[in-house]
Amino acid sequence: MSAHSHVEGQLPHEPEKATLEGRNKILGFWLFLGAEVVLFGTLFSAFLALRDKVGDGNPTADELFNLSTVAIATFILLTSSLTSVFATQALHAGKKNAMIGWLIVTVLFGLAFLGLEIYEFAEYVHEGHGFTTSAFSSSFYTLVGFHGAHVAFGVLWIGLIIGQVLKKGLTVVTAPKVYVSGLYWHFIDVVWVFIFTVVYLMGKVG
Amino acid sequence: MAHAHAHTVKRYKGLMDWLTTVDHKKIGILYLIAGGLFFLVGGLEAIMIRIQLWKPLNNFVSADTFNELITMHGTTMIFLAAMPMLFALMNAVIPLQIGARDVAFPFLNALGFWTFFFGGVLLNVSWFTGGAPDAGWTSYVPLAGSTYSSEYGVDYYVIGLQIAGIGTLIGGINFLVTIINMRAPGMTFMRMPMFTWAIFITSALILFAFPALTVGLVALMFDRLFDANFFNVANGGNAVLWEHIFWIFGHPEVYILILPAFGIISEVISTFSRKRLFGYSSMVFATVLIGFLGFMVWAHHMFTTGLGPVANALFSIATMLIAVPTGIKIFNWLFTMWGGSIKFTSANLFAVGFIPTFVMGGVTGVMLAAAPADFQYHDSYFVVAHFHYVIVGGLILGIFAGLHYWWPKMFGRMLNETLGKLTFWTFFIGFHMTFLIQHFLGLLGMPRRIYTYLDGLGFNEMNLISTIGAFLMGLGTIFFITNIIVTAVSGKKAAGDAWEDGRTLEWTIPSPAPEYNFAQTPLVRGYDAYWKEKMDGHKEMTPAEPLGSIHMPSPSILPLFMSIGLFIAGFGFMYHNYFVGGGGLALTFLCMLIRSLKDDHGFHIEPDELHDKGVKA
Amino acid sequence: MAAVNHSATEETKKRHKHEGPQKHIVAYIMSLVLTLIAFAAVIAGEVNTSFIIFILLMMAGLQVFVQMGFWMHMKDKGHGFATISILGGIVIAFTMIIMAEYWVWW
Repeated sequence: MSAHSHVEGQLPHEPEKATLEGRNKILGFWLFLGAEVVLFGTLFSAFLALRDKVGDGNPTADELFNLSTVAIATFILLTSSLTSVFATQALHAGKKNAMIGWLIVTVLFGLAFLGLEIYEFAEYVHEGHGFTTSAFSSSFYTLVGFHGAHVAFGVLWIGLIIGQVLKKGLTVVTAPKVYVSGLYWHFIDVVWVFIFTVVYLMGKVG
Repeated sequence: MAHAHAHTVKRYKGLMDWLTTVDHKKIGILYLIAGGLFFLVGGLEAIMIRIQLWKPLNNFVSADTFNELITMHGTTMIFLAAMPMLFALMNAVIPLQIGARDVAFPFLNALGFWTFFFGGVLLNVSWFTGGAPDAGWTSYVPLAGSTYSSEYGVDYYVIGLQIAGIGTLIGGINFLVTIINMRAPGMTFMRMPMFTWAIFITSALILFAFPALTVGLVALMFDRLFDANFFNVANGGNAVLWEHIFWIFGHPEVYILILPAFGIISEVISTFSRKRLFGYSSMVFATVLIGFLGFMVWAHHMFTTGLGPVANALFSIATMLIAVPTGIKIFNWLFTMWGGSIKFTSANLFAVGFIPTFVMGGVTGVMLAAAPADFQYHDSYFVVAHFHYVIVGGLILGIFAGLHYWWPKMFGRMLNETLGKLTFWTFFIGFHMTFLIQHFLGLLGMPRRIYTYLDGLGFNEMNLISTIGAFLMGLGTIFFITNIIVTAVSGKKAAGDAWEDGRTLEWTIPSPAPEYNFAQTPLVRGYDAYWKEKMDGHKEMTPAEPLGSIHMPSPSILPLFMSIGLFIAGFGFMYHNYFVGGGGLALTFLCMLIRSLKDDHGFHIEPDELHDKGVKA
Repeated sequence: MAAVNHSATEETKKRHKHEGPQKHIVAYIMSLVLTLIAFAAVIAGEVNTSFIIFILLMMAGLQVFVQMGFWMHMKDKGHGFATISILGGIVIAFTMIIMAEYWVWW
C-alpha cells in the first residue's frame, strides 16, 4: 500500500483511484449507495402507505408545512452539494487549501440545514404533530429524521476528514476518503430532492 | 521495495490471533464454528419441537415455550446457522477461486463476523432473561407489537437481527467488490467458477434485500420502544405493511440461502464427474434470472391476506416462472454427470442426493404458487414440508457437500470417508422420514405452529414417524461431529490438489492454504483454469507476476470491540437505559474513529519466508 | 489486474486538462430551475392534482439525473457497476412504491 506520495504536490491524476484500496473503497461505496436507495425506498414506501393516516383533530400536512422553510432548506443543501463538487475538483487539482476551504463551507451549510430542520420539527411538535401522534407522523419523522441523521453523520464525517487532511496532507490514502464522502454528500442531496417532492410538495397538494 | 516499512508489526498467537484476525481463511473458520454451534442450538430446538408433537395432547413443553421454540428454531437456523456456514465457505473459498490474496476489505470482513456473532448471542440471551421471541421467525404484527407481545422477547428479535444484519450487509458488499476488482489476470467474468458466480449474485441479493429488513425491524422497534404507529392500527398503522416489508426481504433471503448451494453443487458434481460443467453460460444466466425474479414474487407469502385476484395472479405467475431457470440448472447438473467418470465421495453423495430432494421441494413450491390452491395449503404442514425440503434438503445438503469438498483446503486434512457416508445416509434417510410425511399431514389439515393436536384426527402415526426421522437427523449430525474430531486427531493429511481432479484455482495451492494464498498470482487462460493447465500438460499454473514481497493487512482488535459496543447498546435500548445504550454506541463510534485516524500500513511477507505457511485450526 | 499504480505523475499532469467548474455550475442552475418549477406548480395550485404530481415527479427525476450524472460522475467512464448498483436499487424501490400505493389497505 503506497501510503507515501514521495514528491510533495505531485499527486497522480485522480489520486483517489491510484491505488487498489482506493478503487475498492469507491466501488464499495457505490454499492453501499445502492443499498441506501433500497433503504430510503422502503422508508418512502412506508410513508406513502401511511401519509393519509393523520388521525382526528391532528394537523394535516397542508396545515403543517411551510414552503418557504422547505425552499430555504433545499437551497442550502443544494448549494452545499455544489461546494462539495468544488472540493473534489480542488482535490484533483492537488490544491489542498482550496479543497479544505470548500469542505468547510460544505459543512457549514450542512449545519445550517440541520439547524433549520431542528427548528422546523420543534414547531411541528408545538403544533401537535409529535412522533407518537399518528401513523402519518411516525412515518414522517422516521423518513425525514433518517435523512437528517444522514446529514448529521455526513457533517461529522467530513469534519473528521478535514482534520485528517490537515494532519496528513493530500495523499493517495486520504484522497479516496475525500472522494467517497463527496459521493455520500451528493447522495443525501438526491434523497432530499425526493423528500421535498414527495413529503412536502405532495403534502401540500394532497 | 523489499523492506519498505521500518515499523514493527504485532503478530499474535493463540486466542488473540483469532480475536484480531482479518485473514479471510481464519474468519471462514470462525464463521464455521459459530454457525455450527448455532446449528446445534437450532437442532436442539427442532428435536424439542418434534418431541412435543410426537403424540397428541403431549405436555413436554407448554404452549408458550413451544412458540418460543418454533420462533427461535427458524430464526436461529436461517440467520445464525445457515447464512454463517455459507459465509464460512464464501470466505474460505472465493479469494482462492479468483486467485486473490484476500477480500477487498479484510477489516470489514472481521467486523462482519463479530457483529453476526454478537447479534446471535444477544438473540439467545433471551432464553435466560425471561423469554425468547415467540411471534414466529416472521414476527407478524399485531402479534409482535407491544400490545400482544408485551415482554422483551420480540425486542431481542428486533435488535439481535439488526445487529446481525449489519454484518451480513457488510459481507455482501465485501464479496461484490472482491469479485469485481480482484480477479487474477485472465479471469474474465465468464471464466469464473460457478461457485464464484453464485456468491456474486447472492451478494447482490444481500445488498438489496437487507436494507428492507432493516427498515422493517427499525419500524417495529420504534413501535415497541418509542410508541410509534407504523403497525398500530388504532392510530392509523397497518399490519399488512409489515408483511410486505418483511417478505420483500424474506423472499430474496431464501434465494440468498439457496444460490450458494447451487454453486457448490456445480463445483462438486463437475469435479467428481471429471467433466466440465454442462451449459456454463446458461447456468450463469439462470443464476442471474433467479436472483432478479426473487425480488418480484414476495406476495406469494400473502395470497390469503386479501390482495385481490389481480395481484394474486401476477405473483402466482412470477413465482412459477422461477421454476424455469431452476429447471435449467437441474438438467445441466444431470447432463454434466452423464458420460462422466463418477466418483461417489461423501461430498458427491450429498450433491447427488441434493438433486432429487431439491426438485421435490421445488415442485411443491409450484403447487403452492397456484394462489387458489394455496388458500388450502396456507398455514398447514404442507408449507412446512415444502420449505424444509428446499432449505434442509437443498441448502443443508449443499453445505454438507461443500464442507466435505473443501475441508482439506480449509484444514489440511481429508474428512473420513466412512464417517462421511454414515453422515449422509443417516441424515438423508432421517430427513425424508421427517418431512415427506409432513406433506400428507398438511393435506390432511394439520395446521402449522400449533403446540399440540387432538387425538382421532389421523395425525398421530405421521407425527410419530416425523419425530423418529428428526432423531435420525440428529444422529447424522453426531456422526459429522465425530468425523470432525476423528479427522482433527488422526485425519489423513491433504495434498494441495486434495481430490486429484481439482479444476479450479483453490486446488493449485497447498492444503491448508498458506497465509498469503498465492506465492505468485496465477495467470488464468480459461474456465476451469487449473483443469485447462492440466489438459495442456502443465503441472502448475503460470504465474502472472514475479516473486516479490507480499503485502498483508494488519490484525486488529477493533472489530471485536465495535461489535461489543453494539451488543451493549442493544441491551441499553431494549431496557430503556439510555445511559447504557449511549455508552455502547459511543464505544462503537470510538473504535470507528480510531480505525479512521490510525493508518494501517500492514506488514510484508518476504519471498524467503514463503514456506507454505498454512492456517492452523 | 494486478495492483499497479498509475505511471509517472509528471506525464499525466501534462496530459490531463482539469475540467473546470462550468459543467457543475450549469448542473446547479438546472437543479435550481427544476426545483423552482416544482414549487411553482404547487403554489399556483389551480390545476388538476394528478397533473401537478406528474410534474413534481418529472422535475424530481430530471434533477436526480442531473445531480447523479454530473456531480457524482455517473455519466463518465468507469461507472458501470455504480450504475447497475443504483439502478438495481431503484428497481426494487419502485416495486416497494407500487406495493405501498396499491397493496396496503385497511
